[in-house]
Amino acid sequence: MAGQKMDAGLDILDVQIVDKDGRMSGVVDDLDFSWDEETGAPYVSSILSGPEALGTRLGGRIGLWMASVHARLHDREDPGPAKISIGVVKKISNHVEITVSREDLDISRSPDWARDTIISKIPGADRAVE
Amino acid sequence: MKKLIEITLGILTAIGGFVDIGDLVANAESGARFKMALAWVVVVGVIGICLFAEMAGRVAAVSQRPVFSLVRERLGAKVALANLGASFFINFLTLAAEIAGVALALELASSVNYLLWIPLVAFAVWLVIWRVRFSTMEKVFGLLGLCLLVFAVALWRFGPDWGALLSNAAHPTVPSGEGHPTYFYFAIALFGAAMTPYEVFFFSSGAIEEKWTKKDLVVERMNVYIGFPLGGLLSLALMALCSVILAPRGITVSTLSQATLPTVVVMGKLGLAVLLVGIFAATFGAALETGFSAGYTVAQYLGWQWGKFVRPKEAPRFHLVVLVSIIMGAFLVLTTIDPIKVTEYSIVLAAAALPLTYFPILVVANDPSYMGEHVNGRVTNALASIYLGILLIVSVATIPLMILTKAGS
Repeated sequence: MAGQKMDAGLDILDVQIVDKDGRMSGVVDDLDFSWDEETGAPYVSSILSGPEALGTRLGGRIGLWMASVHARLHDREDPGPAKISIGVVKKISNHVEITVSREDLDISRSPDWARDTIISKIPGADRAVE
Repeated sequence: MKKLIEITLGILTAIGGFVDIGDLVANAESGARFKMALAWVVVVGVIGICLFAEMAGRVAAVSQRPVFSLVRERLGAKVALANLGASFFINFLTLAAEIAGVALALELASSVNYLLWIPLVAFAVWLVIWRVRFSTMEKVFGLLGLCLLVFAVALWRFGPDWGALLSNAAHPTVPSGEGHPTYFYFAIALFGAAMTPYEVFFFSSGAIEEKWTKKDLVVERMNVYIGFPLGGLLSLALMALCSVILAPRGITVSTLSQATLPTVVVMGKLGLAVLLVGIFAATFGAALETGFSAGYTVAQYLGWQWGKFVRPKEAPRFHLVVLVSIIMGAFLVLTTIDPIKVTEYSIVLAAAALPLTYFPILVVANDPSYMGEHVNGRVTNALASIYLGILLIVSVATIPLMILTKAGS
């Protein structure tokens, strides 16, 4: 995607992210910008996704609450919103398509509580779909 | 025949939207109190939901984007969150009421108090969502819901003065003893019921569950143009039935059993049996529709994996939202809160939040980068713009009318 120009606010923000196997992997909740060292022009360096990114962007009481609750629930050494490097983005259209699997993303750095504690314990959770 | 079976998604969506527990009572009540003076609202509502459900289904088939994903993208994180809060709350109230509605239908059939049925019903609703194939679920509940056609049969057998019914519907007048605010409050309730947003959440996500693509646009249109008018027809038949049987005797309707009265008068026990199967299927269908929609809206706003087309383990947070919503819904109606009142309020509140859902659908249905050659035509856009105007007026008028008329009492 390097070098492509688009309206970051309209074309990429709030768009569904889909991984290399076509699985839904979050939404573009916010963007990280860096500055080109030679020209000084800003460019999108990574996509931020997950409640911490969303909460910070929403701001206000609800946003801060969302971000802080999520941060507390996930005791990690690397705080801050989950990042997806713009380098793994393959295509931006109706969806943001990435070239890696969602398990390898920063958004999957904490164990999935809903899956491990509840859903996978219910009989039939792993039943294949016809 | 195969083509006919393919329209069950539209039938289930429409029956769950038009003749669920709240609408059964609202339609019967408006027939008994205003005769056919509110029939035009059902017609306006059917055209509106056809228009926007067709757009939502087309967008889903062509771009694989369900409605709440569009809401998030086009309204931005903040406004979409406000819409999510309102839509989820309304949807939750409806889910709770439908669980009670199924229980009430079972009470009518078994004489066992509906509160005892609620835990069982809630479990059954969850089990169907967890275990049954999407297309099987659609067919079973969509087709069983057709038992409600007994309303139309009963009306035909009663043999009313069709000319008088039609002219009453064509020249609506507010009956003496009823005020204009109450009349318009009922109009909003019927309009809100026809255009209730969970129908498009469910229909567009269902289109993706069914793996519709551009090639299925004919099926998609058939679903909309047969399903929703059928739902509208059922609610008009019930309204007419109550207007010819209950209104002349001054009987008003406030419970489900009263809504079944005219059918029993005309069709006897057998009619009641068929009707109860229909009510069971329609309320159970609506419970499924709202149960799914609880998961769809939250998952699509946050970008989580959703749907029955993956193993439950692959979409754990979607299934967790559905599970928790059903449990909380069951608890809400176990407090003995009146489920009919709950849906009446939720329908009217839904009317206030409608523009926030339908506006993004219209925008994306016009965006060639999503839709290619399948963008809206001029007629669709003209009609949709008129409807957005109506939706805006309704959303502004709803709350004041609710307060002014003490919710139509």
